[in-house]
Amino acid sequence: MLRKLFFTLAVATSVLALNGTAWADITILVPSGSEGDGLRAAAADYAKLKGTKVEAVQAPYANVFEQGANAGSTKSGVFDIILMDDPWIPFFAENGHLEDLTSFFKNAGMEGPDSDFLSKSLAICRNPYNAGPYVCLPYVGNAQMFFYDAAKFKEAGVDVPKTWDDVLKAGKALTDAGGGRYFGYVFRGGQGNPVVADFMPIFWSYGADMFNADRTKVTIDTPEGAAAMKTFMALRDISPKGVESYNANEVGTALAAGTAASSINWPNWVATFEDPSQSKMVGKISYSPIPAGTKPGSSEIGHWTMGIMSASKNKQEAFDFMVWATSPEQIKISAERGNPPVRASVFTDPELTSQEKFRHYPVLMQAIQASTPRPRHPKWPEIENAFGIELSKAVAGTITPEEALKNAQDAVSRITNIY
Amino acid sequence: MVGSASGMSTAQLRPGGAVELWAERHLRVLMLAPTVLILLGLTIFPSIYMFYAAVHKISPNPNVPWDFVGPGNFVRLLSDQQFHVALLNTTLFTVVAVTVEFLLGLGLALLLDKYLRRLTFLKTMLMIPMMLPPIAVAITWKLIYEPQFGVLNEIMYRLGLPLQAWAGDVDLAMVSIIVADVWQWTPFIFLLMLAGLASLPVEPYEAAALDGASSWRQFWDLTLPFLKPVIAIALLLRVMDALRLFDLVFILTGGGPADRTKVLSLYIYQVAYRFADPGYAAAISLFVLFATIILSTWFMKRMRLAD
Repeated sequence: MLRKLFFTLAVATSVLALNGTAWADITILVPSGSEGDGLRAAAADYAKLKGTKVEAVQAPYANVFEQGANAGSTKSGVFDIILMDDPWIPFFAENGHLEDLTSFFKNAGMEGPDSDFLSKSLAICRNPYNAGPYVCLPYVGNAQMFFYDAAKFKEAGVDVPKTWDDVLKAGKALTDAGGGRYFGYVFRGGQGNPVVADFMPIFWSYGADMFNADRTKVTIDTPEGAAAMKTFMALRDISPKGVESYNANEVGTALAAGTAASSINWPNWVATFEDPSQSKMVGKISYSPIPAGTKPGSSEIGHWTMGIMSASKNKQEAFDFMVWATSPEQIKISAERGNPPVRASVFTDPELTSQEKFRHYPVLMQAIQASTPRPRHPKWPEIENAFGIELSKAVAGTITPEEALKNAQDAVSRITNIY
Repeated sequence: MVGSASGMSTAQLRPGGAVELWAERHLRVLMLAPTVLILLGLTIFPSIYMFYAAVHKISPNPNVPWDFVGPGNFVRLLSDQQFHVALLNTTLFTVVAVTVEFLLGLGLALLLDKYLRRLTFLKTMLMIPMMLPPIAVAITWKLIYEPQFGVLNEIMYRLGLPLQAWAGDVDLAMVSIIVADVWQWTPFIFLLMLAGLASLPVEPYEAAALDGASSWRQFWDLTLPFLKPVIAIALLLRVMDALRLFDLVFILTGGGPADRTKVLSLYIYQVAYRFADPGYAAAISLFVLFATIILSTWFMKRMRLAD
């Protein structure tokens, strides 16, 4: 009898061990960092409130994509919800990994997400962009802003940097006076995603884009692209040595330590800059929309969005959680936890805007509304890699900016079969 | 209870019964079965699957069937510039890193074996880097190389020397990775050489000393030939490991700047997981596997270790 009991226990333990998430009603794949922490905390609240067991599996940024893609291509159903960076949406949607949310909205008696969401935040959740059905709901309202030390810029003769020429003027003066220890500008120059993310807003500010409107032509190597590249190279010249390998941490640290005066950055860094235990620049950093080039500046949008995996066995439960987590009340709680909102009512909530740590909200809301998504293509990771290699070479000076544009044009044409 | 549950007669269960006889006859198979099953599951099956994947175009869309492309993925290697860059970088890294590690490891072993035998504390200290997880080593060196706040540039600054970008500099990035790898793996060579030196016979050295052979002569004509099998094993293991370099590059440079540190393992990872093209990634992996097998076989023959 005792042996039978032990045997049963052993089998039960093994089954549980093999299927570690079997106990959860919903399993969510989230990134490390504030975005994932926020949703994990929301999941815990939801579990308490509704009695639904929600498991949040946290992984580093790149691994979220890999694990999501793996789960999608093997139809494993291990994750019910994935918290995605918005440029991944075409890959997941067009490879059949994401559920079309139309029927879920219909069943819930809704036409779609409500109009309190920012229009740009909703546009990225439709595939194709702003036209197709909803495949996700926005959760974290990231869009790049321009961060700068207003006092230093003023010293250098620029009150508010409205154009890239303003940034170059102040930045050069500050770098020249910095004696190799202080710099007017700093950016993510690391090969791949980092350098592309910090180049795209400049690219757009000069009227350039990766493809023409109907996607029949790659348009990297154009006069507009060359103008953007010229500014980018000038910014490199006033940036710290070694910027070729910089990622978000290095840029954030340079600003927080007060060794660089400006950069393009993501709003989740605001909390760090305003935290006296992590920053020497508390209250000294100002935020503005992306400066203009020959055209108005445009931020790169980088929202974190929640989608239901097609292989999920708990789709309705997943949808219910997503609707709850993106409600105005929950987005406000998420904002208080450090994640930028995606709803107008939260951006303008006096309870939040009256606090010093949310003083960037008007600028961020403006930045989201003036944002541009990274080119929406299922092969974006490969495109970004190829473009990132050529930009890295230009930043490192191993090829000329003109060669970089030409090589990038050829590489992207090859990957997308658009000639 | 037992008898009724199993339904076996006492004759079958008693010593020398049918069950015991059967178990005895198949004992070897039974004992080997778990190992064989694990091997099949963890080595043989993935290898066969990799061959199968390498001749297919695999879509990330689970509803799209695998497309048989024959040798297509291998032919693609010939025209893939990123693969060529990764191959070149991997070769450069392997040759330089393993050579430096070998020379330093052997030198340190000779020094400690001959002159500093009693300093066991020093020997232990030298072995610490090898015991650290590669990811910890990579993060440590990332902090050391950090251009603005890193220790290395702080020293350069205090010495009045020009600051360097280290892992961010096109000319220094690969050197930076080699230095970190040498720091971690020289102790491995050192340990093997030290063990080899400890096992050397004393008599030939006494005879050589009586004949008036210099230290250099003794090293060249006695120590090196005696150590040859140990050297061969050490180099072989290090070369195979260096060809799989991933952690340091992933953390320190991500393959940049300007593709100067992109190595094969990193490229395979990118192709498989970032570009969602596992068929082509399998083909590159097979190329690396065969290159390693050919290199190892040639090396073992050259060092006459095959026997």
